[in-house]
Amino acid sequence: MFQAQTGLRTAKALRLALLLAITITTALWTGAAAAQSAAQRAVDAAKKGCAGKTITIVWEAGLQSLDPLNFSGPKWEQLTGCKVKVVEVPTAEMFTKIMQEYRAGTGAYDALNVVPAWMPDLVQAGALEALDPYVDKNGFRDELQKIAPTYRDNQMKVNGKIYGFPDDGDVFLFYYRKDIFARPDLQQAFKAKYKYDLAPPKTWKQFDEIGSFLTDALKGEGIYGASFFREPTYAQLMFQERFRNEGGKFFDPQSMKATVNGPVGVRVLTEMRNENRFMPPGVEKFGFVENLTVFLDGKSAMTISWPPYGRFAAGYLADEKALAWVPKSKIAGKVGYALPPGGHPELALGFALSVASTSKQKDLAYLFIQWLNSDEVSTQRVQLPYALRDPFRDSHYTNKDYMAKWPDAKDYLAALGDAAKTGLLDLSLIQTDKYEESLRQAMSKLWAGGDPKGILDDVAKQWDEITQRVGVDKQKTVYKGWAAKSGAYPAPSK
Amino acid sequence: MVWRTLAAVALTTCFLFPIYWLFMISFKTPEEIFAFPPRWWPSHIQFDNYAVLFKDGDAVTVWNSLVVASASTVLAMLLGTLCAYSLARFRTGGVHLSNWIISQRMVPPIAVVFPIFLMYVFLGWVDTYLGLILVYTAFNLPYVIWMMRGYILDIPVSLEEAALVDGWTRWQVLWKVVMPMARAGLFATAILTFIFAWNEFLFALVLTRTEVATYTVQVTHYFGGQSGFWAKISAMSVLGTLPIFVVVAFMQRYLVRGISLGAVKG
Amino acid sequence: MGRQVGGLPGAFEVGVLRARSVPSQRARPRERGFQLALVAPSIFVLLLFGVLPLVYLIVVSVQNITMIDVDQSFHGLLNYRLLAADRRLWEALLHTGIFTAIALPVELVLGLAMAQLFIEHIPGRGVFVALLVLPVVVSPIVAGTTWSLMFDNRFGPINQILGWIAGEPAAILWTIRPDLVYVAILMAEIWQWTPFMFLLLLAALSGVDKSQLEAASIDGAGYWRTFRKIVLPAIRPVMVVAILIRALDLVRLFDIVWALTKGGPGTMTETLSVFTYVKGFQQFETSYTAAVALLVIVLLSVAVFAALKRVELAR
Repeated sequence: MFQAQTGLRTAKALRLALLLAITITTALWTGAAAAQSAAQRAVDAAKKGCAGKTITIVWEAGLQSLDPLNFSGPKWEQLTGCKVKVVEVPTAEMFTKIMQEYRAGTGAYDALNVVPAWMPDLVQAGALEALDPYVDKNGFRDELQKIAPTYRDNQMKVNGKIYGFPDDGDVFLFYYRKDIFARPDLQQAFKAKYKYDLAPPKTWKQFDEIGSFLTDALKGEGIYGASFFREPTYAQLMFQERFRNEGGKFFDPQSMKATVNGPVGVRVLTEMRNENRFMPPGVEKFGFVENLTVFLDGKSAMTISWPPYGRFAAGYLADEKALAWVPKSKIAGKVGYALPPGGHPELALGFALSVASTSKQKDLAYLFIQWLNSDEVSTQRVQLPYALRDPFRDSHYTNKDYMAKWPDAKDYLAALGDAAKTGLLDLSLIQTDKYEESLRQAMSKLWAGGDPKGILDDVAKQWDEITQRVGVDKQKTVYKGWAAKSGAYPAPSK
Repeated sequence: MVWRTLAAVALTTCFLFPIYWLFMISFKTPEEIFAFPPRWWPSHIQFDNYAVLFKDGDAVTVWNSLVVASASTVLAMLLGTLCAYSLARFRTGGVHLSNWIISQRMVPPIAVVFPIFLMYVFLGWVDTYLGLILVYTAFNLPYVIWMMRGYILDIPVSLEEAALVDGWTRWQVLWKVVMPMARAGLFATAILTFIFAWNEFLFALVLTRTEVATYTVQVTHYFGGQSGFWAKISAMSVLGTLPIFVVVAFMQRYLVRGISLGAVKG
Repeated sequence: MGRQVGGLPGAFEVGVLRARSVPSQRARPRERGFQLALVAPSIFVLLLFGVLPLVYLIVVSVQNITMIDVDQSFHGLLNYRLLAADRRLWEALLHTGIFTAIALPVELVLGLAMAQLFIEHIPGRGVFVALLVLPVVVSPIVAGTTWSLMFDNRFGPINQILGWIAGEPAAILWTIRPDLVYVAILMAEIWQWTPFMFLLLLAALSGVDKSQLEAASIDGAGYWRTFRKIVLPAIRPVMVVAILIRALDLVRLFDIVWALTKGGPGTMTETLSVFTYVKGFQQFETSYTAAVALLVIVLLSVAVFAALKRVELAR
């Protein structure tokens, strides 16, 4: 009897277990199927409507557009029959071209690459299509969730609605020469002078100390402690990052008055100017390439820049024809990766994929960007040898293939993964460009020798004027929306 | 005379140096371009930068420039010379028409490029050869009209009157008598008009997208935010400048006359 | 219509002056039909591209179209009032004025000096002249880019040469230092346009009456006296025209400034055209830009017609 009952219970348990196993497996399988076929679903849906049609997408001219020209465009056409026409536009002209075509109602562009900081303006003007209905219709929400937190929570929505898919993990990463930092003679001398270990700086004060120390110590070898791209277009992004890391706030949320000229701002500008002294001469004019040249040449021990630096420094696929313009790296294997001082890097620029509201083929355009942004396809795209698209999905940071690309790649991806949790979103309001222009000019004046307080007072005045012109209440609402994002201001550090 | 010649050589060297620099950079490898200190000649001349432009299809923009500049020059010369003849021989429209035509030249392109863009959207002429050709024609017309008017005024009327008396029609007189006599002026004006259209930037930037981009627009594509293609920039610039240099070399006589026309005669 | 349409305005305005002073040639029987056929196509094209945009500008300038909304209601003189109070606009005018005031005389004097050099025969003069024309026919965009390369603080030959002279590396930031940035832009601009002046003046000098010059030298007159009393009056008409042409183009200066500094540092080198471009094509203040554009057109027209009148009176 007892045995029979046990047997019955066992049988029941077995059946239960089996049922559970089947359920879990089915769920997993369905889940997996659902996850893996977002790309496939896009392809299938597109195949139905494509025949002979062409989708036009705006892309940054130069290296970036090699992706749709040589890889994703032809592949999409092969899979669906839709042709892809790539309109290459230099970044400086992208906003202009998009607005221009929109204002004229030409319908010339179907899909767009959009810098997230522009999204409030474009949405306000009505140029971008709200994507929620499409996302739900095609079941893409889950996959969107798997984009790394910083990008997902900051670069996708405006006023709570989805207007773009973050598609590029742009972030300012800190690069340093681990070989220099590991030198015992330097370590000893530094510890003796400053009483803490020579290591990647956690604060800007440490950075200043390490930088000036290294420049002095390595003078004989012609190496500088650090170099940055100080050209105003880039410098203003670095200012945004530092200012916020040090606790600064751009506006008073109640009155919408600019508070950028407070003591924090002045201190940051003063420090930035002083730092130039231990950096290579002419650093005020360094752009992306000049700074890269100096770093790859081994002439600076620390720098901050976008993810491509990491790949270029490692000499990754340096023989690729498209990368012929990249200076040869003399420091492969000697580069360490970390978060910039302060721990909250700027998500400088970046790109999101959107659909133009005046497009006549919105469904097809949407399907193309869903496919591009899907887990499966984006993983391939960020690994393209000539890619400037940086990892931006959780899965990218743990991708085995990527980690095998060069010896330190896993550290690189780990650092990027960290950055993707703590990044700061560029200021994005209505007429962002006007505010940024004011900052660019401020940097320009700083390098020309102006006084930080005076410069920032001008900025604050200009910002207030712009806010007045836009409409204080309107801007207040948009600012509130921006400030509520996780990437607007760093959580107060412990 | 010796020191004059020396001075001339020195002067010419100074003025040509930047052009030499541009050409030289286009032959350097990207690495060499970023070598410090900069070298004044490439260690070996290599055409890779140009090869890339052809392979990527960027060089087709030079062809676009050629098509657009040639067509608009022909059109402007045709329309403009006819109009000029009427103004010269008949004073058509009197002072008002003349003044109005001059005033068209006061308008800075930047002021009107957006309305023209809107107009083109309506007409469907954006990013088409026709659109760009017409805009260049329109902007060169005042120049052509005034130059040719001057040249035609210099041709004695007696020849035409004689032909008319002989029973030729007005059109025959135009084509068979006036045009040949104004040949020098036609040449000079055509060359300068061609150069304007070839080097133009703003309208090409705004009114083209992918099909009809000219070389001046293409050059600006290489100024990236996260890349720097000095090699391509210089190669493309040279590619777009060479045809003009060739034109100048062959036509320098007419060119000099064209530029200094009114001066000599006035 | 615009100097930005390529590189060479040529003797356009010269033709204008000439045409006004040549007596009209007696027209034969009206032949209205013929005249119409000749003139109509040109007028049509000019109307399309000249008048329609102008009408648009006037209409739009009294509306309030900005980047954020397309407000097409009538707003009267709103944009014009904003314009008058816009410090940046007046600064742009000032900058443009500075460029014009410096570049013009330098190009004139330099061009004259060069013309004097070449007026006497030297071997291969034709070749020299042909080569010297090259800067003028290069696209302004290419010119700006080339000089950007020249002034590059690391890879530019200018700093390199200065370094040789000074004996130590020169890392001068030509496009960042406020005291040097105007020099940089002016050098590029003067490089491109002095040959133009040179050609015009060369032709003018060749028209100077040789016999008068000989008489003067027989009389023992010095170089400067001869120059002031004989040469200068003879070339004055051309000089005036040349100045007019260049002045008009300098007011519209865009490409070279854009390629070298984009109006920076700050807005220190922002000219009228750069300002208009930024406001119109980056900030999409369509109505405001239309008002500015109309202002510029009016100013230019008044200036040119006034100048033309003065020249006519002087003849």
